[in-house]
Amino acid sequence: MAAWFLHGLRRGIVTTRYPARPDSSADDLPTPPRFRAGEMTDEIAERLAAVCPSQALRRDGGVLVYDVGGCTACGRCEEAAPGVAVPGGQFELAVTSRADLVKRIPLRSEASS
Amino acid sequence: MTAVQADARGILDEIALVARKAAIRDDGDVITAQIPGPDLEAVVHLLAAAPGARLAHMFVSDGQPGGEGEPVILRLVWAVDGQQRYLLTESAVEAETYPPLSDIAPAAFHEECEIYEQFGIRPATGRPLNRVVLPPHAGPDFPRLGHPPTQPPREVHAPHTVGGQAFEFPFGPVRQVGAESLYYGLVTSGEEIVDVHVFIWHKHRGVEWRLRERSPADGLFFAERMEGLSAVANGWAFAAAAEAATGLLPPETAARSRGVALELEQLYNHAAAVAALCQTTGLSVGQSAAEIALEQLLRLNAAAFGHRYLFGVVGIGGARRAPDPAPLRRDLRRDLPRAYGELRRAADSLLSTNSFVDRLEATGVLSAEQARLLGLVGPVARATGLGVDARHDHPASPYAAAPPAVVTRAGGDVLARFHVMLAEAAESVRLIGQFLDAGAGAAVPAANWIAARRHQQEPASAGQSRPAASRSPGSSSTTRVGSPARGCGRPRCATGGASTTPAGHETCSPTFRSSKPASG
Repeated sequence: MAAWFLHGLRRGIVTTRYPARPDSSADDLPTPPRFRAGEMTDEIAERLAAVCPSQALRRDGGVLVYDVGGCTACGRCEEAAPGVAVPGGQFELAVTSRADLVKRIPLRSEASS
Repeated sequence: MTAVQADARGILDEIALVARKAAIRDDGDVITAQIPGPDLEAVVHLLAAAPGARLAHMFVSDGQPGGEGEPVILRLVWAVDGQQRYLLTESAVEAETYPPLSDIAPAAFHEECEIYEQFGIRPATGRPLNRVVLPPHAGPDFPRLGHPPTQPPREVHAPHTVGGQAFEFPFGPVRQVGAESLYYGLVTSGEEIVDVHVFIWHKHRGVEWRLRERSPADGLFFAERMEGLSAVANGWAFAAAAEAATGLLPPETAARSRGVALELEQLYNHAAAVAALCQTTGLSVGQSAAEIALEQLLRLNAAAFGHRYLFGVVGIGGARRAPDPAPLRRDLRRDLPRAYGELRRAADSLLSTNSFVDRLEATGVLSAEQARLLGLVGPVARATGLGVDARHDHPASPYAAAPPAVVTRAGGDVLARFHVMLAEAAESVRLIGQFLDAGAGAAVPAANWIAARRHQQEPASAGQSRPAASRSPGSSSTTRVGSPARGCGRPRCATGGASTTPAGHETCSPTFRSSKPASG
């Protein structure tokens, strides 16, 4: 057991200071996307709703409903609509109300395109 | 190392003797033998006894048992590792039963149970089968690959009772990190395990059923997620099947990216296994030491490939991500030895801890013959002396040019498995360095790879670009021949991209095997 004692002394404490200090490894993690509403056409919204494997994206009339809570950050929406769906860069998404995780993104109307 | 020798030609000659009406077709990597139903049992006896031939899988195709419409076709996949080939036997099952194959080749038992649940046909033993895949509440309308059994299994071991002085120790399905959600009911009277009930239906998601009529890209997405700790291995296997069917050949740089990812996957799984061994032996300090290495390896995965568990690396026809550009490769070269060193130091301390070694030695002993009959692979098989390693026995690029050293031990116990994993971790570090030295990049074919194949077959005018194919949902964006795939904005990513691709860059486009016809 002395060997393990020495092993621990040599290794020291490796616990990070997160959340008191940011953890740099988080920069490498996939994150839920954000969407550029100004470029969200009807066709793109249909494509995104079809490609999302966890139904985090769905159409509701002239709105794309985005449930961040259902997103697994798989990146398929970003591949399907590059430039419209982009990495959000945030994973600290805790909220106190489930409804706060659901975003409604208005589609770009033909008149404004 | 136990010699793995089998002469595929010799096996075929013997099959022809016992099954005179067998039709045999040699496709190079795979030999297909159509065996008449009455001869199947004799052929399985022959193959189960052939050294170096192991039953790798058994499955059926859809059909109607009992003579209505197309018959069910029972297929057995035998790996002839010494010859780098597979033998596929096909037999029509006319009735609701077929010969008791698991009596001859025990590796078939699990598949027999699943085939009964999914297709309603069973071995003609009359002995009880286990419920293995579908949950107990799966009624006749539960999604199946085929048809429900006309009779429910006579015994499903749930619920069941254990009599006498024995009791059942329930293990799982909720288990520690690195272990699947399986239930093991260990029947024991104290020290010796006399029986085991294995239930694997707790997380049944019907992936095979859900895959039907989906695109290959969707199939790859599901395959990666079948078992999250084997995303690269399962994704690569699926991609390889799609590539074989469509005649795609990934570029060498993309193949080496796959290789780097696969070796990283093995590394972190071995670190997790070491931690799990420490937990089961009650050595929490050792467990923490191994888990430090595990965390370092997972962070390395995220830095190199953008995902701690290496999702999204394999693409059909290539690799979607790579440790690219050069700073990432440099970081990988610097940090990988540190992480491996963490694991190695923990392992050295474990091997000098008697209480740990004593619990591993002579525990869970398997013989090489038992491992072969059970169709075992991986470190468990190699720890019995069987030198089976798909990277070596059925090599695809990059392993064809850089064969791994196959590590074996002769003890067959848990300590031998521990030593195999440690040696394999060292070998993985060596291979990663070799692949990086040779160049690892990301490249995937155009979204419509059939159209891309036609483009490649047409003569190109120098300096002219080809029109981009249309982009379909969920697929990677197209690449212009001679230009790289643009990323989605994340580092290392070769997929997605802007609506226009830059000019003046070099890329590695996939090639196509000229002997393979384009599929529709």
